[in-house]
Amino acid sequence: MNYPVWDIPFLGNGLVVAIIAIIHILISHLAIGGGAFLFIAEIWSNRQNNGPQIRDWLHKYATFFLVYTTVFGAVTGVGIWFAIQLANAEATSLLIHQFVFAWAIEWVMFLGELTTLYLYFYGWHKNSRSMQVFLAGAYFVIAWGSLFVINGILTFMLTPGAWNLDNTSIAAGFFNPGYVSSLFIRTLVMILLAGLFGIIMATRIKDDDNFKEKIINFSAKWVIPAAIIVPLLMLWYWSTLPANTIALIKSGATGLAGGKLEVITRYFWLALVSGVLIVFGTLFTIIRPKAATTIGAISLFLVAQFGVMGAEFFREMARKPYVIYGVLFSNGLWQYQTRDEQYMKADYLDKALWHPNIEPLGQQHGEWIFRLQCASCHTRDGYRSIISRTEQWTGDFGFRWLETMDQQGVMPPFQGSDQDRAALSSYLISLHGEQTSAQEILDQYRKAQADSISAAATDTIATEELK
Amino acid sequence: MADYPIPPEAEKQIPPEHKLTGKVARFLLKRYPIWPIIDHLAQKVVPVHKHTIWYNMGGIALFFLLVQIVTGLLLMVYYRPALPWASVQRIVMEISFGNIIRSIHHWSANLMVLFLFLHMFSAFFMKAYRPPREFTWLTGAALMGIVLLFCFSGYLLPWDALSFFATRVGISEIEKAPVIGMWLAGLVRGGPDVTIDTIGRFYVLHVTALPLAVLMLLGIHLFFIQIQGVSEPDSFAALPKEKKRYHKFFTEFMFGELPVWLFFSALLVALAAAFPRELAPEADPYASAPVGIKPEWYFLSQFQLLKLFPGEIEMVGMVLMALIPIGMLLVPFYDRSIPTDRRGKIATLFGIVVLTGMIIFTVWGYIS
Repeated sequence: MNYPVWDIPFLGNGLVVAIIAIIHILISHLAIGGGAFLFIAEIWSNRQNNGPQIRDWLHKYATFFLVYTTVFGAVTGVGIWFAIQLANAEATSLLIHQFVFAWAIEWVMFLGELTTLYLYFYGWHKNSRSMQVFLAGAYFVIAWGSLFVINGILTFMLTPGAWNLDNTSIAAGFFNPGYVSSLFIRTLVMILLAGLFGIIMATRIKDDDNFKEKIINFSAKWVIPAAIIVPLLMLWYWSTLPANTIALIKSGATGLAGGKLEVITRYFWLALVSGVLIVFGTLFTIIRPKAATTIGAISLFLVAQFGVMGAEFFREMARKPYVIYGVLFSNGLWQYQTRDEQYMKADYLDKALWHPNIEPLGQQHGEWIFRLQCASCHTRDGYRSIISRTEQWTGDFGFRWLETMDQQGVMPPFQGSDQDRAALSSYLISLHGEQTSAQEILDQYRKAQADSISAAATDTIATEELK
Repeated sequence: MADYPIPPEAEKQIPPEHKLTGKVARFLLKRYPIWPIIDHLAQKVVPVHKHTIWYNMGGIALFFLLVQIVTGLLLMVYYRPALPWASVQRIVMEISFGNIIRSIHHWSANLMVLFLFLHMFSAFFMKAYRPPREFTWLTGAALMGIVLLFCFSGYLLPWDALSFFATRVGISEIEKAPVIGMWLAGLVRGGPDVTIDTIGRFYVLHVTALPLAVLMLLGIHLFFIQIQGVSEPDSFAALPKEKKRYHKFFTEFMFGELPVWLFFSALLVALAAAFPRELAPEADPYASAPVGIKPEWYFLSQFQLLKLFPGEIEMVGMVLMALIPIGMLLVPFYDRSIPTDRRGKIATLFGIVVLTGMIIFTVWGYIS
């Protein structure tokens, strides 16, 4: 509420961030895993009789790897920065200020990655064998260092642990409960992705089926560690999740896979199913390596993209309704502010900065409450549509529901006065074509309150008379 | 009674007797003289050329059909035709995985139709209908029709407002057919209007009659392909023998396609996660139809085309709509020359016009 609103129709600003981020995560994870692949493959090629042939192939791997990770990785990475600043400047500001040196280290890591990768690639025909191995290894270590850093910031957002506004220790926030399990999971996934990329490049080997089989067998082995260990690490990761999040995942009518299936549960299953499919796909490739096609290998890589989509959506939704769990709500409300009833009940548009002059209880009043307080998570008729969620609403129902909306577990508390609630309720039902003004809603509520007081008074008098 | 003898050529090709696979192979071949079939299948090849990717479309459509069968069987466990909406609501809200299975069933149906269109048009443009494959084409066209009937019949089963009114509008189009229209519409509905009796008919069609028909026709369709082999486009057929490349279907082509099936499996779960199938309020026959109700996308082009012929010229539209699929169906008897001659070019042009028209009218119907 302290920043201008980035109102994206249909998609919503959060989903724009999500789309860019999901693409970036696949690329960035490959960028790191691929470094390990290059390093190990270099060493492996030195021990094979057909080392030069392997290195020729590795050069093709490195070519596509370089273009894919540096170009698209940079574009989407910067894209995330642009998007998050616009979507949630408050949270971005907190993350920058809290972890300023982590960010600085991150960018040094990026510089180091690019430098070593370019030295490795462009020195291909000039560098000695040992230098190539060294550069590949250096690239991987530096790239993994960038994971080491960003993992702390990402996991902090969901499991800040002992960190709070009274204890802003960087170590407490960075090395939070979810840090280690997430670090291991991501590292193994990176290795897996490197293997899948290797399979794609192996399918480009024509006219030498035996060599193709050798490279595929080498690449497919990179899937094994993740296949075995990630399920176990997920149990560990699960244990670090907030209790409310676990309850949300399990919600639905019956147990973990309850029929209704909250959206977070659906994305959890997407990640799980994708992981299983990758293992099966890799097994098929191992059984008949000569039959592997580029389209088939790309298909498997895209299954990994779905897995990333599932896992990252799951992780982001696990934070609902916060952007920094337990500290800052997605709509800019701080947790500590919710304890100040006077603040919470004060007129919202007096606190929020970025809006035009609004006539109280007028048509625009409710719309601006929506844009400033709700649009961080909801669109009108697209993603997390507010129209479909308020289909059965009347003005009075909406007015009352907004007062206690935080009690259902995935919503922040409403900030604002009775006028604000009435204005918002009026606006939301107007999206269905109903025209009940905010003033009417307010009058209805006040009349009901007065009737209720009067009825209570009458009951008291009657009880006294009976005595 | 003596075992069947194992042919010498089989002995050379199956694994040695000391291996488990060799033992199993010999056990089966001594009891079932199927070596000629196995040998024939082992020889099945797929030509490798720049259009090879289109050979995958039929297999992908088959994949979605298998998904439909599995998810459909699961839904049948809890679906009650006497209480259609309530049972679907229970599936979605209470039954473990019901929500996701139903959504997968919905998305798989749509993708199956899409890939069948891709398969049909790719076979059309690659002229895979030419002799001796006319009946492969005809059985394929029949399969297309049956799948569209699947979609039409399945759409009503949730008995929500959307499916009820869409079916009512759809069947009202049947009424317009000359001579038999009213009778046919009444037969389909089970009366003068869409009621629970219609559910009974559509349910029997959807879970029994149409699956039997599709399995039978699919068996015949695949049998023809096994016997005659995969068709080759003119450009490939004209190549000298030494330049032609082939992949063996079992197991080279098949194993190459399996990861693509895995991708579509993940896609189905992703679509079910991101865009679960909604259940509208229960159908109310006395309510008015939702404003701007339209059929699903695969019927949208016909719907939009008919809008161009209102009132008295409606019959013109219906005749045109009938001529297009008839033209597509009979193309093998018009375009028969290998390599392509003038008739073949006209057939190609006809296909381009039909495909372009379908896309334009579908988009037009969607945005209008």
